[in-house]
Parts: sequence; structure tokens; C-alpha cells
Amino acid sequence: MAAAAIRPMRLAALTKTRCSIFQTAYNPTSARTGAKYLRARLRGPSMVNYYPPEANIAQIIRQWPELEMRNYAEEERLQDVEDKKKRGKGAPKKAKEKGDSRRAGRKR
Amino acid sequence: MPNARVLRDIKARNVVKANEVLRRAYLYVARNETLSPQVRHQAQLQLNTFGKYTRPTTVKNRCSESGRGRGIISEFALCRYQFRLKALKLELPGVHKASW
Repeated sequence: MAAAAIRPMRLAALTKTRCSIFQTAYNPTSARTGAKYLRARLRGPSMVNYYPPEANIAQIIRQWPELEMRNYAEEERLQDVEDKKKRGKGAPKKAKEKGDSRRAGRKR
Repeated sequence: MPNARVLRDIKARNVVKANEVLRRAYLYVARNETLSPQVRHQAQLQLNTFGKYTRPTTVKNRCSESGRGRGIISEFALCRYQFRLKALKLELPGVHKASW
């Protein structure tokens, strides 16, 4: 036969004791204390390591000029820019004032 | 050189890491129902001033080989096609094509 109904006060006391033993917060009303934001692990450190590190060729060349290495990709890019300028396909001139900007002349 | 979307993602990751502790502290105050509403509101206003890339949800796992954003097998940080190519070249330890 089941024991007589346990009074809620006794149950609360039991929970309180359990909390003190296992070092958990006693929160009988289940109020939101925001503790989960402090308890959760920090995700930044593992996030940063997702992509494998890539060698920065420009930086290596700057740091050790005696190696006489060449950044072929960068040279090719600069050559492309020069070629485009020759064909009149370069970047537009920067406006000196706000009125000179191409955006200002646009109808909209 | 990774593509612009990967560079943006790398930037987001670094910004998230730099701001994570402070953001968590404000989150704790703002979501804590035992504190006064004024304090919680101030904390929420502070949270709103953080930049776009400080939120961890802006970070997306992309393919480390091709920069593709969909069909990523996260254990290898590769999209499904790069995963297949690398697996067939036996560059992924413990992965080989099924055959029975």
C-alpha cells in the first residue's frame, strides 16, 4: 500500500537539501535567472579554428625579402588592372565633392 | 585566396570571439527575471548596440576548399563535391568509397 500523501512543505525541504548537496541553484518557482547564458560554453574559440590556416604570401615576402620570392597571383592581378585601364575600363575617378559623384547625377 | 564570402565568414568568427564574453554578460542581465525591469531594459539596449557580426548566428560553416555554403559535411568542413573528390584521392583518412 502506498504511503500517506507527502506534504508539499516536506517535498520542498527535500529539494532544498538536494540542491545544497549537489550545489545546484534552488529555484522553486522556475524563474528565469539567465544562468544558461553563463553556464553554456564559449563557442568563439572553436569557431575561429574552423578554416585551416592559410599562408599569407604577401606577408612572407615582406618579412623575408632575401628569399626573393614572387607573388604571381598579385602580379597577374595588377597586370590585368593595367590592361583594363589601357582599354578605358578602369575604375571611375573619385569625386572631390559630393556634387561630383556619379550617384548625385542619378535620377531616382 | 578564399572567396569574399569565406573572408566575411572568417571576419564574423573573429568578431564573435572578441565580443562573446561581454555579450553573454549582457544577455545574462537582460534575461534575468529576478532583476529590475529598468536594469534589464538597459542591458537589452546595450545588446542592441552590438554589431551584426557579433551574433554567433551570422557565422556559417562554408566549404574550406571551394567556399560553397550549402551541402557541407561539417566533420570535414567540405562541401559534398569536394568531399567526394578528396575521398576518391584518399586524402581523407578513414574514408573510402562503399563497395559490397
